[in-house]
Amino acid sequence: MTPHPGDLLTAALAREIADSGISVYAVTSPASVAAALAARALGASDLALATGFTALDAEPVPSVTLGEAGLFTSGAALVDDPFDTFALLARGRVGVAVAPAQIDAAGRTNLSGVGPPGRPKVALPGARGLPDNNASPSRVWYLLPAHSPRQLVERVDVVCGAVPPARATRRLLTPAGCFELCSSGWQAVWLTPDGEDLVAGAPGLGIGLSGSEPVVTAPDAAALAAVEQVDPHGVRLIEFSAGADAAARYQAAAAREASR
Amino acid sequence: MAAARALAAAGRRNLVVVSFLGSLDVELLLAAGCVRTLHSAGVALDGAGLAPRYRVGRQERTIEFVEWSEGTLLCALQATARGVPSLPTWTALDTDLPAVNANVREAADPFTGERVMQIRALALDVAILHVPAVDSRGNAYVEGDFAVDGALARAAGRVYVSHEQTVADDPRRAVLSRLWVDGLVPAPAGAWPTGCHPHYPADLEVVSRWAAEGASAGAELLTEAAR
Repeated sequence: MTPHPGDLLTAALAREIADSGISVYAVTSPASVAAALAARALGASDLALATGFTALDAEPVPSVTLGEAGLFTSGAALVDDPFDTFALLARGRVGVAVAPAQIDAAGRTNLSGVGPPGRPKVALPGARGLPDNNASPSRVWYLLPAHSPRQLVERVDVVCGAVPPARATRRLLTPAGCFELCSSGWQAVWLTPDGEDLVAGAPGLGIGLSGSEPVVTAPDAAALAAVEQVDPHGVRLIEFSAGADAAARYQAAAAREASR
Repeated sequence: MAAARALAAAGRRNLVVVSFLGSLDVELLLAAGCVRTLHSAGVALDGAGLAPRYRVGRQERTIEFVEWSEGTLLCALQATARGVPSLPTWTALDTDLPAVNANVREAADPFTGERVMQIRALALDVAILHVPAVDSRGNAYVEGDFAVDGALARAAGRVYVSHEQTVADDPRRAVLSRLWVDGLVPAPAGAWPTGCHPHYPADLEVVSRWAAEGASAGAELLTEAAR
């Protein structure tokens, strides 16, 4: 059976986080939270979770949830200065997974809008932390639910995140596989069974394939088990769904949270 | 949200709003026609999707949108808190931020010549914060993340804190000293339909409805009467 891309990619991200050596992981979306929690069970037991700008070592750890409130912690407030986040970023000690609306062949990112800067035809959320993350030596994963030519482009419309520093590690996880930004552009680390076709369908990113890339047919079993342990209801799959399926999953998760 | 509801009910217009990361609070102010200029690093409804009024406002340019990154906006607030006209930062070089925000400008560090982004101070007339608890002296208490509310308070001329409840004095646990607080406003459920940990989570049904209807729905969906 073909694995759900949400399971494959969340498990892959969990393994990536566990093996990365970072000190702090900044949680964002449900899949990102699930991956970070699973990474702790995969060997990164000391990984600190940042659930915002001042809760840099959240304890108890957050749960996988739809609403922001679920990302907050119980107990006494953590009163770290919000600048700690940026100091840690600047030292390369942080990891974060983000989902830009566009990523380009040089690793630039966009979450501001489609169209010229300041005159969007389609306005998106805004630059958020992309200018900060991309400029840092810290670890950034781009986690996308589709390998789409609309998102993976030769040049982004608005440069929110600039070309990353030369030695910074940037990896892209999509239903086509895992890709790393190198000096020569994006290179495949591994592909899914559909990866070659998906890569060919989004040529703007300029991914070069040698034909000898490993093909991953199933999720990392230990990583997936760890993910399912922390996210038994599959909240992570909402961000890998679309249309009616996504709406139904969201409503089910919202109803579950309302009854807690 | 309680303060946004009050501003909307009072018919305020032409506000310059600074929202570090906005949500339904910004949506309500936009729907009520209160906003002339919006400074923010982003506005969205998280899992429920994009923020419809914000999208329309930017696309049709019915508001002036000043786009920041999280790091540059925090830097601008800290410049005000420190009493300096600007501060340098390492973020946002080679981005389009300077094209859409005149407060962000590339410069050369005077000591090394290194390229930096120089961020102009952003001063707020008033900061309005909502917290789970205050004590009798006005110290504010938050469990978990205080986000950048402390930076907003220190960049503001006056600070008003709405709160869910009053608790016993324990200033060592406070995240914001009374020294920064000019006024307290009791506002139980004041964050609704967003959440206020540990009192209540976000009302995801309302968030979801707003995501679906917000561009056409009126601000009444977010009023106290709708709760």
